[in-house]
Amino acid sequence: MNDLLNVFRRELRRMNSRRIYWVACLVLPLFSLIFMATIFGNGQMKNLPVGVVDADNTSASRHIVRMVDATPELQIAKHYANETEAREAMQKKEIYGYLLIPSKMNSLCYYYHNAMLSVGGELHSTFETILQEVSVTQIVTEAIGLGEGISTITSFLMPVSETESTIYNDTRNYVIYLSQPFFFVFLQILLLLVTTYALGSESKFGTSDEWLQSARGNIGIAVMGKLLPYTFIFIMIGIFANIVFFKWMQIPLPCSLWTINGVTILFICATQALALLLYAIFPALSLIISVVSMVGSLGATLSGVTFPVVFMDTPVYVTSFLFPIHHFMEVVQSLLYLEGTIAYYWINITILLIVCLLPILLLPRLKNILITHRYETIE
Amino acid sequence: MKRLNDIIRIAMYECRSILRSLPILLVMGGGIFLYGILYNYMYSPNVLREVPVVVVDESQTPLSRHYIRLLDGTPQVHVQGVIVDMPQARERMKNGKIAGIVFLPEDFETKVGRGEESMVISYNNTMAFLSYAAIKEATSGAMLALDSSVRPSQAVFLNADVVQPVMNTPTISVQGIALYNETGGYATYLIPSVLMVIIFQTMMMVISMRCGKEYEQQMYPLFRVTNQESSWNLATNIVIGKSVVYVGFYALFSVFLLGLLPLLFDLPHLASGMQVVQLLTPYLFGTAFFGLACSPFFKDSDAPLLLIAFFSVGLLFLSGISWPLELMPWPWRLLHCLIPAPVGVLAFVKANSMGADLADISREMILLWGQCIVYFSLACIVYKKSSNQTIFKQAK
Repeated sequence: MNDLLNVFRRELRRMNSRRIYWVACLVLPLFSLIFMATIFGNGQMKNLPVGVVDADNTSASRHIVRMVDATPELQIAKHYANETEAREAMQKKEIYGYLLIPSKMNSLCYYYHNAMLSVGGELHSTFETILQEVSVTQIVTEAIGLGEGISTITSFLMPVSETESTIYNDTRNYVIYLSQPFFFVFLQILLLLVTTYALGSESKFGTSDEWLQSARGNIGIAVMGKLLPYTFIFIMIGIFANIVFFKWMQIPLPCSLWTINGVTILFICATQALALLLYAIFPALSLIISVVSMVGSLGATLSGVTFPVVFMDTPVYVTSFLFPIHHFMEVVQSLLYLEGTIAYYWINITILLIVCLLPILLLPRLKNILITHRYETIE
Repeated sequence: MKRLNDIIRIAMYECRSILRSLPILLVMGGGIFLYGILYNYMYSPNVLREVPVVVVDESQTPLSRHYIRLLDGTPQVHVQGVIVDMPQARERMKNGKIAGIVFLPEDFETKVGRGEESMVISYNNTMAFLSYAAIKEATSGAMLALDSSVRPSQAVFLNADVVQPVMNTPTISVQGIALYNETGGYATYLIPSVLMVIIFQTMMMVISMRCGKEYEQQMYPLFRVTNQESSWNLATNIVIGKSVVYVGFYALFSVFLLGLLPLLFDLPHLASGMQVVQLLTPYLFGTAFFGLACSPFFKDSDAPLLLIAFFSVGLLFLSGISWPLELMPWPWRLLHCLIPAPVGVLAFVKANSMGADLADISREMILLWGQCIVYFSLACIVYKKSSNQTIFKQAK
């Protein structure tokens, strides 16, 4: 216990001696928290600029234009005289889509910008909803004029229609969708980097003997005492971020905050364990930092937040199981979106726990490396 | 002439140092070749197909089965099972086995038979917007197909004198056309931007490792290759000599990343080679100058990587390809303009994925050249200062 405290105090002194530790442990996490919490504004795609080419120019066509302009998602930025002009404006990204109303108005055509997939998707579904209504207006008015009931004519036109019930985030808010997941993606990259840097800097500055001595040669205690300060700081940041997201920003939380915090703590420990594991495999600072930055960035993809990993090739899907962030996201997202309980995700939790314990196997190798000073010459 | 000799000497020295450093070669090799290929491979499915759903069919009639067949026939979803029990379906969703539930109520066919409006209810979760969109497309496609097959038989419910006029009234056909990235693929949307970010990030890493190393060696080796008087000439020589090497390396890598990979993996490649060169010139130089201007922060060959590596995903967000720039709060829009990567990404996506010509990306080009000028001057100032210090130390 005394030894552990010794190493712990020694690490605090090391952290204090260099600015990089505080920048990486406090400034950058807080910066990413602010970044992810604010970049999406209020999270709703509102007032996306679109254009109109109205060749019909009748009261009916102007009515459609007004309807488009009145939807909160869209805003008519400009009227164009012909399609070429509208296309050019698209190319310049002045507008994200445009509506083409030909003269005689027997068809309506809308174009949307799919090189920006999320904006394109939003435009597509918004236009679709407005224009579906428009397309049958003429028939409905005609039938009503002839004395037919409105419900009869609509059920004639659409014998089967569809309603949807969205379980969580029904407004498709980007703050709810991406802010919290991507903050933790950032955090895991940082944690991997900081942990391996803390470990690797011992060999780099030739202090690994002193480090081992302070734990009286017990590698387990040396590693634990060294990593504990970071574990503590990052857990605090993780919990703080959860409070910011779920309490202050009021992202809906169907389970208790402490469940999420519990998973967060487990995730942070597992990520550190992964860093330790990787360090034991590539024990030279200059190499491990590049390795870890790649692993961390891969975590952004393999967390499966934007493109579900199940749909990737099997080898990629299997690899994603090695990434703590994947399991963390799986559990947290299910807690939020599916109102599930932890019990459904015992496999993910178990894997996280196993990852936490894995580095124990490599501790002897690590000790050996520290004593023999191998790999220190790699530059 | 002497000046050119100096620049060449600095460039040769920089080139040698890069090629002799294992970590830098690892960053360049791993970051560019491995990462470039890996990313393409990971996202190669490109679009979501056969998203698993279950149908809760309480109706169990020919019409409901017809709908299920239509739904299963769409490329977007795969009907994993038809069950009668909603709680069981929810259970499957909680287990993460399916992405959506389609519910057909008991009176599904009866209502159609009575001439009333019948409902399909889809329970979606928005965990992944991509599967949500896929399910929505599929259910509405199946619904429209069912409607048009049922509609003729529904005419009996209309008043006799309405049928003819209604049939004669033209409907307005509505058509949505995606411009650029027509398949709505995720890889074809994201990867071009990722490749540009890789160029920026790995070059920043290389520069930070080189600058950190030089700081550790107190710059002596660098100044030994030049004549040792501190002056603006020396500072600009260093900045030019170093940048030329970085840009040279990355011009080669770009041929692989932006020239070869798009062909191999069927990514959009609308921009002509000339256009890419016109775009990359300020982008690569801007990045090199930006990196050198940041060199006072690089005082260790490893620590700066911590600051750089973690922000790759952030740069993608800042570029405005996923969340539109117009909707970002102004401080982030400003930051977008100050860093080469987000501007370069946007310009590249416009030119390469949308086929914009040089005039269409003039805003980005002006920003990039502006950054070149600003960061070049900053880098020169930084090196003037550090050369002063070094020479002062040496004198002591």
